[in-house]
Amino acid sequence: DEHKKRDTVEEEVTEEMLKEVIDVYISETDSVSLLDIPSTVMSVDTDESEAIIERNRQYAEVCRNRMGNDKYMERSMQTLSGAAKDKHVQSDAVVMVNTGWAHCFPSELRNYVNVAFTGCGHVVSSTKHHRSGSVHDQCKQPFSVVSTAVSSLKEVDAFGSTSGAESDLQLIMQSETFQNCLLVMEKSILGNTFQPDLAAYRQLPVLEDPDFPVGQRKEETESGGPPALQRLWAFSCELNRGRSVRSMAWNKKNTDLLAVGYGENDSGDLTPGLVCCWSLKNPTWPERVLHCDSAVTSLDFSANNPSRLAVGMLNGNIAIYDVQGREQNSHVVSSSECLKKHLGPVWQLRYNQQGLSFAGEKVEELFSVSAEGRISRWFEFNTGLDCTDVMKLKRIHNTKKKARGNNTEKTGSVLTAMTPGLCFDFYPTDPSVYLVGTQEGLIHSCSSSNNQHFLDTFRKHFCAVNCVAWCPLSPDVFLSCSSDWTIQLWKLDQLNPVLGFTSIQRAVCDIKWSPKWATIFGAVNEGQLEIWDLNSSFLDPVAVQPAAPGVTMKSLLFTSRADCVLVGDSDGQVTVYQLKNLRVGESSQGISASFLPGGYSARPLL
Amino acid sequence: MAEVEETLKRIQSQKGVQGIIIVNSEGIPVKTTLDNSSTVHYAGLIHQLVMKARSTVRDIDPQNDLTFLRVRSKKNEIMIAPDKDYFLIVIQNPSD
Repeated sequence: DEHKKRDTVEEEVTEEMLKEVIDVYISETDSVSLLDIPSTVMSVDTDESEAIIERNRQYAEVCRNRMGNDKYMERSMQTLSGAAKDKHVQSDAVVMVNTGWAHCFPSELRNYVNVAFTGCGHVVSSTKHHRSGSVHDQCKQPFSVVSTAVSSLKEVDAFGSTSGAESDLQLIMQSETFQNCLLVMEKSILGNTFQPDLAAYRQLPVLEDPDFPVGQRKEETESGGPPALQRLWAFSCELNRGRSVRSMAWNKKNTDLLAVGYGENDSGDLTPGLVCCWSLKNPTWPERVLHCDSAVTSLDFSANNPSRLAVGMLNGNIAIYDVQGREQNSHVVSSSECLKKHLGPVWQLRYNQQGLSFAGEKVEELFSVSAEGRISRWFEFNTGLDCTDVMKLKRIHNTKKKARGNNTEKTGSVLTAMTPGLCFDFYPTDPSVYLVGTQEGLIHSCSSSNNQHFLDTFRKHFCAVNCVAWCPLSPDVFLSCSSDWTIQLWKLDQLNPVLGFTSIQRAVCDIKWSPKWATIFGAVNEGQLEIWDLNSSFLDPVAVQPAAPGVTMKSLLFTSRADCVLVGDSDGQVTVYQLKNLRVGESSQGISASFLPGGYSARPLL
Repeated sequence: MAEVEETLKRIQSQKGVQGIIIVNSEGIPVKTTLDNSSTVHYAGLIHQLVMKARSTVRDIDPQNDLTFLRVRSKKNEIMIAPDKDYFLIVIQNPSD
């Protein structure tokens, strides 16, 4: 009937109606019987009684035998309900009305929250009449909404409980995942900005961007053209502006991680030192910043524990840091309490793998050379570092050239002064032999089993030897550079240098062999970066990169996989240059032994 | 906390970054460097996009989850880092 179908009009509930007394009568309903089988009673004398008695007896028999009888099986029945079927219905575009979303919600507005969901196909007017606190009821009714909006409706429940967006921001900013997330984002942004340089570094082929025509990136002539250095980018930030770069080292395990040690300012005052660990993925801010007590002079990463970084300082201290953790100044051990610590600046540190331990893994030890003339081997002892002296560099007064073939040298005077050692390098094939360069200009080869005598002394330089380096690809060949403006190439069995190189009249600060090509090495003197190729010329470097005006270049590092060179300068910048067009042939073979001693006219045969 | 602020400042000053928006789990922007209407616009649209992307990833493999989303367009790039408590949205124009 139409009467029944008309919607009942809701009346307003008034106060008087609530206070009325209403009588409620409860009564029993009629009983409804569902099953009624009355029992049949018969007299024993009738004819059917026997059949019935027989049936009764059989039934009793059955009942008795039912327990444990194989003929009867317990069986349960279950009605299966069909699988639930999800049904999504999509409506047209949701029109959101945003009113003051970014502000705090006072708690009285809880009921009117649903105003924003007008576009969802839900009748809004009916919600206002619900009593307060019934926000939860909304979710139980079926909606015809876009499926994504359902999840945000569930979050409506939490609305009344948050005290606003402010505390959310605080919570988010303090969570650690947010910090990591920010760093990843920063690296992605920088990846976009530095993409061409990083691709050149990693030697990826350049693909054209279809949106930007070729004219934006100039085509470089790949073949032909002289060897050149191209500047890719520079690691620098305002923390280290003006500090000179003293030492750089790659991490042994993660070859994208670079540690740079910064020394004193340009003005020369002794500011506390700084070590920054840079990642290739972020050239604008270092991953880790470590503040040290005094200016940093050398550093090296350990190979056995790749997160340990040993730092040598101007005041003679050596500290080992663990760079994995994010806490500031997480140094593990320091040598400041050691009695035998160095009293002068630690000019070079190196982790060296010598021999095998019982377990068969390589034992690694930290060696250092300092300005007081001692070479020490360090080990950790009682939360500090302790050392044993491997060699003392005595000053040699006899500089007779005739003593060339002499293996041992002993000074005539009783009081032997010590001479500062500036650099050392371990022999690649036998780690117990090493070379030391001293301030007097001598290079000694020593063995770690003999701490009294040198094995050999190489004399040529007359100023301090700044760096010695063994050639990694060619046995028995090493280079040395010195403040007397020259670089000398030596062979282990000849006490005179095989070749000498000079280019400009500035002290040569650092020298390194290329890890890939046996005839290429790089040298940094104060004015420029030079790349020498023994294959092409002994008189001139093949590529020269002058330093920026007012800045002197201080240190050099090759990269093992890319064809790039890193140069640190006195302004705190570490610049990455790519070597192009070096035109090296089969130079993975070593320099042949047919170098004639002492001649510029010698031609190497490969 | 100060580190987080510093990192945000550094990101803001990188080349080509047009805006940073932090959205909480309910879809409300809690921190932004853009104007209000663009912020709300981005937040609403990106919320839906991330939900769809996340459900796609989890549908294919329920053990998997979305970690980063980049939308590269002709004019700029939108990078979104979703998490269960927040979204971080950065809009960058790398050729700026």
